[in-house]
Amino acid sequence: MKGGRPALWVGAGLLLAACVLCGLAVGGVRLSIADLVSGTGPAGQEARLIASLRFPRVLLAALVGGSLALAGASLQALLKNPLADPFLLGTSGGAAAGAALATLAGISPLLSPGAAFAGAAVSSAAVASLARRGGRLDLQRLLLAGLIANAFFSAVLLGVFSLASTEAARTMLFWMMGSLADASPAKLAALLPYAIAGAAVLLLSASRLNLFAVGEENAAALGVHTERSKALVFLASSLLTGAAVAFAGVIGFVGLLVPHAARAVAGNDQRVLLPLSAIVGAALLVAADAASRAAAAPSELPIGAVTAAIGAPLFAWLLLRNP
Amino acid sequence: MSAPRSLLEARGLEAAYGQNPALRGLDADIPAGEIVAILGENGSGKSTLLKVVARIVAPSAGEILLDGVPLGTLSRRETARRVAYVPQSAELVFSIRSLDLVLQGRAPHARGFSADSEDDRRRAFEAMRACDVEALADRDASALSGGERRRVFLARALAQEAGIWLLDEPTSGLDPRHRFQFLEALIREHRSRATTVLLVTHEIELAAELADRVILLKDGRALASGPPSEALTRESIREAFAVDARVQKDARGRPRVTMEGPAV
Repeated sequence: MKGGRPALWVGAGLLLAACVLCGLAVGGVRLSIADLVSGTGPAGQEARLIASLRFPRVLLAALVGGSLALAGASLQALLKNPLADPFLLGTSGGAAAGAALATLAGISPLLSPGAAFAGAAVSSAAVASLARRGGRLDLQRLLLAGLIANAFFSAVLLGVFSLASTEAARTMLFWMMGSLADASPAKLAALLPYAIAGAAVLLLSASRLNLFAVGEENAAALGVHTERSKALVFLASSLLTGAAVAFAGVIGFVGLLVPHAARAVAGNDQRVLLPLSAIVGAALLVAADAASRAAAAPSELPIGAVTAAIGAPLFAWLLLRNP
Repeated sequence: MSAPRSLLEARGLEAAYGQNPALRGLDADIPAGEIVAILGENGSGKSTLLKVVARIVAPSAGEILLDGVPLGTLSRRETARRVAYVPQSAELVFSIRSLDLVLQGRAPHARGFSADSEDDRRRAFEAMRACDVEALADRDASALSGGERRRVFLARALAQEAGIWLLDEPTSGLDPRHRFQFLEALIREHRSRATTVLLVTHEIELAAELADRVILLKDGRALASGPPSEALTRESIREAFAVDARVQKDARGRPRVTMEGPAV
């Protein structure tokens, strides 16, 4: 079961590699994949040079997509709810509000993952306590609490916009719609510790999450310290969401849809599903980013709009399938 | 004859869901190796008692002693190695192979809760064979019938190798054949493994027939406790359930309970 499926991992790796190549090739100047791979001759060298400029952006897309998908998959197992997702539960909204407030306060952009994480954690805690009923998380209340959190944090964001200068508000608006345009090695370096810490905690929690996927009481009866595990998983997914939102804005539906696709292929063993979701999420967002640049070249669509345009109809379909 | 040793003792046990108290100072003694039926109206605290023993719900006061040791001083994992909980109805949202569900019973024994060694699989299959669900090993447990699923969960309790089984209304909603199959597997494995069984049920007749001991709960306290012939009387049933029942003794001295109607 565990690790014994080489074809699955080779397939996922190839998918990611193909998406990364597309991501590097697409843009203001379209590169030939052959030149890009060979890297020889003037055309090849030029392609490599342009690709190296695009590389931070592709890497950011991969990190953000992987983080959101991993957070979504973990929350779905933790809450035994296939509709759980950092965007729907208000975690992304909290992160965006945190990052926007930090920007307004003039804090260095490189510290914004910390502010976004704080916002995400506050939002997670508020949503979890709102959804608590008789000592346990009620799933319907959880989604409603996410709705409330999203409403509240969009009010905070609107407030921040109105207080910011016109120029700053415009920048924030583009960031909030989801944008990978400002990727830089420095930002990647600032994001990486959050992503690694969050991912490590979640991947190490995979076996516990298998017990949660049958139910919280199930996990408790099998010896899991459920309160501690829940806090840890919420915190780790807040880290991942915060990091993703701080540098790429609010990108919805990745955390919802990728785990579904991965589950359909590989089943619901979290020890397989979590890493697979991370890889597929990375591939999906790299591809979506390439599509957003290709569709409106030389301009580009906000990536959040692209994922929402794909994600919302699929979400509706899931909702109809899971009454 | 010496009094049977208590494997589990509840002392002044209290538990609540938010503002709603479920247990209000329960005292009970559960001797090792017996089948103990816990009876009482809805809301009398039966399921809560099981959940406190399984450490799903934390008591707000009082304590449970397991072999004389306060349950709260054991690690949760240690508790799960000694106490197996079979839920009333596990609504499975995600598909899961029956074998993987049974393997979860090995989780408290495994490092990092990650149980799928050869040894774990062997024990899981043995448990499934004992409960006649081996043929369902590769089936999706979320698509099984209620009766099949209960036996898969029973198999999981076997795989858990705990000496105490907690069963929450194991026969509710089962048709006669599945009910019979479930009880047959339960009694057979209880005898061969000498486990202690706490069984919450609404079936007074089942408790009278099957249990070595009955605990009648009312409003979160024990109203009566003892062998069925002593604990199940017209008076105790009337007090616990507000119904009138005719209680007769069969040839083995077991009570036969026939409901007459609501107490007037």
